[in-house]
Amino acid sequence: MNSNTPTSYPNRLGVKGWVYAGRYTFERYLYGGHRFAGLGLIAYMVLHIIETANRMRGEQAWAGLMALFASPPFKVIEYLLFAAAVFHALNGVRLLLTELGFFLGKPKEPVYPYSTSVMRHRPLTYVIMALAGLIMVLGGSSLFFP
Amino acid sequence: MASKNTTPREITFRVRRFDPDSDSAPSWREYRLHVTEGMTVLEALHEIKAQQAPTLAWRSSCRMGVCGSCGMFINDLPQLACQTQVLHLGTDVVTVAPLPNYPNVKDLVPNLEPLIEKHAAIKPFIIHPNSQEMDVPSGEFLQTAEEREAFSQFTYCIKCGLCLAACPTVATDPLFLGPQALAQAYRYTVDNRDCGLQERLEAIDAFHGPFQCHLAGACSQACPKGVDPALGIQLLKRTLVLDSIGFGKKKSSVAKLSPLADVVKAIEEFAPPPRTVNQ
Amino acid sequence: MRETRLWSLHLLVIPIIVVLLGLHFAVMHYAPVFYGVSVEEARSFEVMVERGRSVAQFVLYILLLAAGLYHGLYGLRGILRELPLTPSLSKAVDVGILLFGLLIFSFGTYVTWWTFGYKIGG
Repeated sequence: MNSNTPTSYPNRLGVKGWVYAGRYTFERYLYGGHRFAGLGLIAYMVLHIIETANRMRGEQAWAGLMALFASPPFKVIEYLLFAAAVFHALNGVRLLLTELGFFLGKPKEPVYPYSTSVMRHRPLTYVIMALAGLIMVLGGSSLFFP
Repeated sequence: MASKNTTPREITFRVRRFDPDSDSAPSWREYRLHVTEGMTVLEALHEIKAQQAPTLAWRSSCRMGVCGSCGMFINDLPQLACQTQVLHLGTDVVTVAPLPNYPNVKDLVPNLEPLIEKHAAIKPFIIHPNSQEMDVPSGEFLQTAEEREAFSQFTYCIKCGLCLAACPTVATDPLFLGPQALAQAYRYTVDNRDCGLQERLEAIDAFHGPFQCHLAGACSQACPKGVDPALGIQLLKRTLVLDSIGFGKKKSSVAKLSPLADVVKAIEEFAPPPRTVNQ
Repeated sequence: MRETRLWSLHLLVIPIIVVLLGLHFAVMHYAPVFYGVSVEEARSFEVMVERGRSVAQFVLYILLLAAGLYHGLYGLRGILRELPLTPSLSKAVDVGILLFGLLIFSFGTYVTWWTFGYKIGG
């Protein structure tokens, strides 16, 4: 483009595009959920490593920390982390299989109405989500109603 | 799902306008139009331009879904305007915006240079070890129907750019190659006439290559020709992983040339079909 | 093949994390089922250091630490580098995350080693 060309308006969606960008399929929003859960988990992991190092301050300090983590707000955070881990792990299994090309079907001549690899692996997505939901409910019941 | 209202009626078109000479940011304008059965969004834009908005700008050409020029963001989905019937959208208000993730030149016109540059970066041509044969062919390369089917789907790409508009990685990362280029990289890599994976590695084994695809699948949803770029990208990842552990395509396995005698024989044996028109 | 190898490793550590984190959850949340002690007891100082003094625990914790940190920080690196960064900022993200990962891994290994060598009662 030469110098006489007027400036274009930058039209990139940005981070908003990870969250809502249009009437796209379910898997696009699973991508955002997977990222969000992953960020929460890595932040927790680093904090957990630092927090469990409190053992080096002795038995009293450790007992105090465990008493704090047994309080209700932390129980809720613990459950949310568990839910994030279950979702991230199970969705991750789906991604592990599909990103290596499994469960997507083979390339073939496109004939309208088109079938896409995303739609073809939708049954796997449903199974994974159902399993994640079941484990979250079971885990929640054992945490809040031991 | 409730059935859509497809009766011919007055529809409001909310069109995103931007004039680079006078506007600092886009704005929305509304135009009301009586829409008849079968009218596409492209035809509606022509009517609006003829009757209400003479300066409205967009890109279009074939008006039949083969050139890929008229990609727009219609009712929150990237679609070809010529392939989208207004009444089939089922809404009383139709929003028409330029494709996201491309610079907006004017009104509904995206700057598609990023699409073209990324496509060029992956060397979208057959790279055969015998470059002389590529320049001055002396025969045909042998390819079975199965070998063709391995990449044929990805040859239907019309470079409309809807897939990059849909992709969440392209939304933030200007250097990401995008679904179109990556699917084409797979198309050439898996073609049995090609042995150019090593030449393409600089582009596709970089950070902004296929591993920044996380299978959102929006590209395949948006593609108007059923190319399914998401499938191409995941298969490209598999190809790269296999190549990294020594199971890549060998130069010796590339397509063989059909013997010239066979080609000459086929030409000599060719007989035209019987005439069906009286002398 | 660098990016391919980094990504392949990101996938290879997944089964390690699934198994070891699963075991970790079992120990911490299902202690009554697996060890016959209550959850509170499983987290008490004595039980924790006793558990940490086994060789298997030591090795498996280091392995989980390495696998989890690699997987998580590779993902974080991807998220950060998918933002529109200048080349120098991109390089800074790569170097910064690597150094951060090594630091946290060293610290975690030190704590695990401290537990391994801890003598109850001094």
